[in-house]
Amino acid sequence: MKKNKCLLLLSSAAVLLLLVWAAVEENFLKEWRRIQAEGRGEEGPVAVQLRQVVNPHLGKADRCVSCHVSMGPGEQGVAGAKILVPHRAVVHDPAEYGCTVCHGGQGQATEKADAHGDVPFWPEPMLPKEMSEAGCGTCHVPLDVPGQAQLQAAARAFERLDCYACHRVDGKGGTVRPDQGGMEGPDLSRAGLAGFDRDWYAKHLGKANSAATGPWKTFRPVSESDLAQVALFLRTRMAAPRLVAAKSTFLSAGCLGCHKVSGVGGDDGPELTLAGFKDPGQVSFEQVPGPRRMKNWMAEHFRAPASVVVGSQMPPAPLAENEIEQLTLYTLSLRRKELRDIYLPKDRIRAVKFGEREFASDGATLYGAFCAGCHGQDGQGRRLPGLVSFPSLANPDFLAIAPDSLLTRTVEQGRPGRRMPGWLKADGLRPEEIQAVVAHVRSLGGGTLPPSDPRPARWVAGDAALGRRIFESACAGCHGPQGKGGEGPALNNQVLQESATDSFLVETISRGRRGTAMAGFEEPSPVRPALSRADIESVVAYLRSLPGGKS
Amino acid sequence: MTPVASGPEKKDALQEFKNSLKAAPRHVLETAFRTGPPTTDRTRSTFVFGNVFLHLHAVRTHLWSLRWSATMGLGIMSVSAFLIALVTGVMLMFYYKPFPDAAYLSMKDIHFVVPTGRLIRNLHRWSANVMVIAVILHMARTFYTAAYRRPREYNWLIGIGLLVVTLGLSFTGYLLPWDQLAYWAITIGANIAQSPREVTDALNLTEHFDPGGLQRLLLLGSDQVGEEALIRFYLLHVMILPLAIAALMAVHFWRIRKDGGLVRPADADEQLARQRRDETYPVFTEAPVKTYHLAAIVRGRTANVGRGPENTVPSMPHLFYAELGVLMVTLLVCLALSLLSDAPLKELANPNVPENPAKAPWYFLGLQEMVSFSAFIGGIGVPVIVLLGLALIPYLDRETEGTGKWFGGPGGWPLVRLSLAFGLAAPILLEAFAIRFGWLREWFPHIPQLIVTAINPATILTAVYALYSLWSIRRYQSVRAGALALFTCFLCGFVVLTVIGTYFRGPNWEFYWSPADWPKH
Repeated sequence: MKKNKCLLLLSSAAVLLLLVWAAVEENFLKEWRRIQAEGRGEEGPVAVQLRQVVNPHLGKADRCVSCHVSMGPGEQGVAGAKILVPHRAVVHDPAEYGCTVCHGGQGQATEKADAHGDVPFWPEPMLPKEMSEAGCGTCHVPLDVPGQAQLQAAARAFERLDCYACHRVDGKGGTVRPDQGGMEGPDLSRAGLAGFDRDWYAKHLGKANSAATGPWKTFRPVSESDLAQVALFLRTRMAAPRLVAAKSTFLSAGCLGCHKVSGVGGDDGPELTLAGFKDPGQVSFEQVPGPRRMKNWMAEHFRAPASVVVGSQMPPAPLAENEIEQLTLYTLSLRRKELRDIYLPKDRIRAVKFGEREFASDGATLYGAFCAGCHGQDGQGRRLPGLVSFPSLANPDFLAIAPDSLLTRTVEQGRPGRRMPGWLKADGLRPEEIQAVVAHVRSLGGGTLPPSDPRPARWVAGDAALGRRIFESACAGCHGPQGKGGEGPALNNQVLQESATDSFLVETISRGRRGTAMAGFEEPSPVRPALSRADIESVVAYLRSLPGGKS
Repeated sequence: MTPVASGPEKKDALQEFKNSLKAAPRHVLETAFRTGPPTTDRTRSTFVFGNVFLHLHAVRTHLWSLRWSATMGLGIMSVSAFLIALVTGVMLMFYYKPFPDAAYLSMKDIHFVVPTGRLIRNLHRWSANVMVIAVILHMARTFYTAAYRRPREYNWLIGIGLLVVTLGLSFTGYLLPWDQLAYWAITIGANIAQSPREVTDALNLTEHFDPGGLQRLLLLGSDQVGEEALIRFYLLHVMILPLAIAALMAVHFWRIRKDGGLVRPADADEQLARQRRDETYPVFTEAPVKTYHLAAIVRGRTANVGRGPENTVPSMPHLFYAELGVLMVTLLVCLALSLLSDAPLKELANPNVPENPAKAPWYFLGLQEMVSFSAFIGGIGVPVIVLLGLALIPYLDRETEGTGKWFGGPGGWPLVRLSLAFGLAAPILLEAFAIRFGWLREWFPHIPQLIVTAINPATILTAVYALYSLWSIRRYQSVRAGALALFTCFLCGFVVLTVIGTYFRGPNWEFYWSPADWPKH
């Protein structure tokens, strides 16, 4: 029976060996133990122990400070290892808020890969360092953000007016000037949150007038429009400049035309309110170059949506690389978490409880956010493979004859059955916002208004039978039989019929629309004779007789 | 009453106290073992039957039982794995909080903060898996050596009960981490419990008579997996099922001894006589004083009755070396696996985000594979048939030829070999056909569900196995041959279906050669 004895001896020895190994690994080989052993505080070596920041209200127990010791409460002085550097000064003290609420990652973990979330079973990896402002989106909602062009113009104005000479904003400016000494003005990085003195300009002028020498002497009067630019710039200073810039890019790329963010936007694409929580374990990285990070996935997805997500209808974003990076940052910031009331920030309350808009209410911003995706940044229209081309709104032939009522009605009700949605709805635009959009569309064409039309909306009294024959030979090729639509717009559309006046239809047929397939039928072309005014009115009479046109 | 001056040999009480104190450790040891160190056969015997934990063993063990090939230690391995799971499980209970979300956070704490918590959790998980495997292999050993035969029929039934409770223990433990893996695996498990609905639905009976829904409700305590389900599974896992398995195990061990020890062939003694002995101890070191007493006289033909204890050795230490050896090997295997591979813990359970594919624990994936064709057949029909069939084996096979021999009985190894080939080929071909060409539902979308319930790969496989087994009975004119064929086929079917369910099924239970081909997003 020696065999059994040997078995017992050998297996026991092996078990003992493994247990010793496990004990050594547990007690000596943990990375955080090594780091803390190297750490030196003001009173000598620090105690080697697991450390954590607990915030029950946020549901956080972050053990990140077991390695990042000097970022923990009261341990800023600990140094000795490369990792032991204190957190830079921030409003939200990591000693209270913990780490993962802003940075993501797995707070309960005590090993690097697990803690940073780069493991298969953790859905929320850390945000990349250059995109850490996306973490603000966990609680905050930047409100009233203007479009990219407006924001950039405001930033340029602030710079042009030399405000940086005395003020520091987002870590820039307020530097020592060679002759007059140090920073004079307050730091304005949080002016959008903390508010700023509305009378600043009068006070600045007063001081400039009374000062004999020094920096005040350099203050010069500012024009009205520049004052508005400065106000806009200050309003958007929320201590998260990259996030605000990213959001303004998002608002200019027309994304809200198809996607909803916190309940406002179109229905064609998936809602994006929580898009920042997309789990890297649940998406395919096959077509994504670079490491398996959500950042790379998002960016590639903006460049070529259909190759990253099979079956995606989204058109590629015609954007520069830095803009794609901004869109990525903004999408990653869409990670709103449920919060207890004491941690609800004011902006979030204003957005959620009082319905304040996350975008600025000027026409350009609204147009950029809701319309530019299809109609183009400058209203030039857009042609996408596989889709009926989206009409150009800035077309001078169109704006020259289209009354505001037509534009308003179209934005409000859309084109039922076609891609254009009606925006006057609970999750769409408000009436005053639609007015702003219409005004902006008008301004895209240089602000020309159509000549006032004394005639009623319906005045044509042509021969519908004749009109029908003409329509079938000249129009049905593009507009489809019975005006059902084809390559050209559907003419039997109820909203179009209701909002377009007879004058508008007659003028469109006679003059055509330059830059599109729609020719002017007043003039003869090599393939057909010109239509007389009566012929054109007959066509309009026929159009009015179409189902949908009867009212 | 003046003991101090009672006699001339007046002792110093202080000295007495010192002597007693010095001798105390020796006395503790002596009183613990009552009959002195186990150095003679007699004291070795008393060592066994005088000990509450050891007295389930016979004092002497037949040499045949100690051969590694006789049992491969699988029974002891099952118990060892259970003991490891028991000890580590109790340790985990110190930190585990059975309430949704808190449960998950406590798992994270056990994993990352509790000293040795990760190792203990890994040990618990691996020992549970080792136990499931060891129990199945132990059953196979018992079957192939025909150990279930008279007088051990009833112990085979107890063994079936132990198999069921083992699976129950493992399954109930699966929900406790409260992560996505657990949540959706239990959702699948609960839906399998609801599968009788497939039949009651087809018969329009569900409104009046809904055993499936009742089963699910009993299991979950609610209409979905939530806090009620968690506390139920917890109670089953840490209390009810461990008590049940302990009781069954006690009966199982007791019956081994009462049924005459482990099975061995009728000619075991002759076979042993032909081999060289390598015992450490001679068979008898003194005349047996207390080799038998009434408790040792048992029914049945045992080697010891009326024949004297030839070819037996004292259980202490021979058997105990073997048992402890297997215990330590089991511990070694679990420990090594625990250090190599962490038990999985996915993200927090989220009822709004279904896992796709949601898979049951691996030992139920064979069932899930069958459920994908018919919930009733896979979830209730086939398992009931299999358990009934297993339970009936000892009562149908009343033969004696080949007892105690591996693959003993008519047919023997050649039949088992053929059955292996057949048992593997049949489900692979059936699955290949169903995967390539679809099944009735794909061909005739509107046929009644009852037809699909009656005719699907699972029922066809069961029927094919049954026919093959009947053919084996006729060919060898032996029920044992039929049992050998059927049991081998059952094992093969279990393995094939489990492997397909584990490795080749992806989102929506579609077939994929590898998880790398799964569609994402």
